[in-house]
Amino acid sequence: MDLSELHGALASKSYDKIGELCDELLIQVASRGIPFQEEWPYAIHLMGHIYANDLNSARFLWKSIPEGIKKTRPEITAAWKIGQCLWTRDYTGVYSAVRGFEWSPEAVALVTAFSEVYTKKMFNLLVSAYSTISVADVAHFMGMTEDEARNYALQHDWSLDSSSGMLIVKKPCITKEQKLDPGKLQRLTEYVFHLEH
Amino acid sequence: MESVEAVVAHIQGLSGSSDEVAHLHSLLKQSEDYLTSQAARLAPFLDQLDPIKHSLGYLFLLDAYSSGQISRDQSHRFLLPVVDFINHCSVEQIRLVPDKFISVCKRLKDHVMHLQVPIQGVAPLRTAVRKLQSSSEHLTTLHSDFLLLCILAKCYKIGLSVLEEDIFEVDQPKDLFLFCYYGGMIYIGLKRFGKALEHLHNAVTAPMMSLNAIAVEAYKKYILVSLIHNGQLPSFPKYTSVTAQRNLKTYTQLYIDLANCYTAGKFSELEMFIQTNLEKFQNDNNLGLAKQVLASLYKRNIQRLTQTYLTLSLQDIANIVQLKTAKEAEMHVLQMIQDGEIHATINQKDGMVSFQEDPEQYKSCHMIEHIDSSIQRVMMLSKKLRATDEHISCDPAYVSKVGKERPRFEFDEFDPVPHKFL
Repeated sequence: MDLSELHGALASKSYDKIGELCDELLIQVASRGIPFQEEWPYAIHLMGHIYANDLNSARFLWKSIPEGIKKTRPEITAAWKIGQCLWTRDYTGVYSAVRGFEWSPEAVALVTAFSEVYTKKMFNLLVSAYSTISVADVAHFMGMTEDEARNYALQHDWSLDSSSGMLIVKKPCITKEQKLDPGKLQRLTEYVFHLEH
Repeated sequence: MESVEAVVAHIQGLSGSSDEVAHLHSLLKQSEDYLTSQAARLAPFLDQLDPIKHSLGYLFLLDAYSSGQISRDQSHRFLLPVVDFINHCSVEQIRLVPDKFISVCKRLKDHVMHLQVPIQGVAPLRTAVRKLQSSSEHLTTLHSDFLLLCILAKCYKIGLSVLEEDIFEVDQPKDLFLFCYYGGMIYIGLKRFGKALEHLHNAVTAPMMSLNAIAVEAYKKYILVSLIHNGQLPSFPKYTSVTAQRNLKTYTQLYIDLANCYTAGKFSELEMFIQTNLEKFQNDNNLGLAKQVLASLYKRNIQRLTQTYLTLSLQDIANIVQLKTAKEAEMHVLQMIQDGEIHATINQKDGMVSFQEDPEQYKSCHMIEHIDSSIQRVMMLSKKLRATDEHISCDPAYVSKVGKERPRFEFDEFDPVPHKFL
């Protein structure tokens, strides 16, 4: 079983490619008819899908892992626990699943990277979904203590409404590129030509 | 040819130039029956051939060998040479005898299914599809076998590689039905309901003279996915075959009833309906989808509110869509914002939600690129359509049929376009 490509991707921190890379390696290894399940890095494979936010693939992979292997290798179950919390939208559960396991040296960097991305993503979700929100809920969604959550929010220009104790969300202006290159004009001409003929 | 040894010698001697291969092809055809009769003792001879150089001969031997009985023990030893052959064989040589290649690949599929190791066949069949098809628009018989193995091995995403290509050429109607059905299932598994709908729709509306089981099952799933994705069941488009329009609904009454119940919009009633018919949905292997239909009703009802109200309290949302608490309503709204299904802002202080318009203003570079690529695709499609139309109107069989159906005109009345298209 040649996993050098996977180790390379892990070493270069190309985490978003891990899931698909593992999928590909898995079917290649399996096509040789060699029993691979015992040694297959399922935990990394699962985390790769979870990192890429591909919960469906993670779910199907989990279903395809033999029961015996799930029992003997607790890291696989721990990785799936994260996926499961994401699947059921148990927002805090994700953080406790990340923290609740002593990850192996191979997996730890990937899990940490996931956790950072996830925190940022959750913060962005709060920004887009709320205009005011309680400190307790921010702490809940971000997996922090209330003090940490308050500080984190204030650092991002949110403000605290002292009368209600709620945080007021500050929405950043997003400016999108709107300039067009002249090549588009050429294309338009082609479209009109096509329509007329 | 009187012995297997002689056949092998011919294969070894005649696998160089294309003329030699053509000659070998005719020789092998003559000894086909003989080889089949010797199936049991062919295995050792395969080792004397090189799958790359002697692809054609190897394929004949492999086909004859695998047509015989292969025990479970031998199965393991049978699989590896087939996998190697598929990976290395020469495309030009195997395309001389596509039927043999297909039958060997199908046996590979049967064996891995029988041994309950479908994942073992996924990569080889993907390669086989690529080697067999003349272009990426060509749908081969092996497409559906590949997709089936992907589903069984739970490698849904691997299946996308062939599903994302536009199909234009089909060998057998059954290939298309199965391809669309399995494709629909893969997209359902990945929760890409829009694409799933497209595939199932193609299975339901494909031309058919008599009803087939694949279309019936596809229609059941089509109804469920339509409800999840669009909240309603569209009627058949005009080009659907008469057979399908007349008969499909009688075989899928349960699902039609479900759709009617869904349209009424009452969560408790829909829940009751699914509960009462639990077993039927289970027998159809559609219970999971039916439950997703139920869950989607909350979303549908919340979405409907966004069309009526600008702001609404969380408690009111909970009451209207039959959720227990305001907090639960908040979580549903949050999920929908997360998935981009609605545009709204939750104000926890006042317990209110304000619904907004889609912030996309359709003037960013990204959006223009998107529209641009869509226009390009449509242009390609229209060119293709025109070419096909011209091709068909030149087809002698078509012209004579159309000519018979329409009354004869005087020469000066004759118009060059067949009536149907006016």
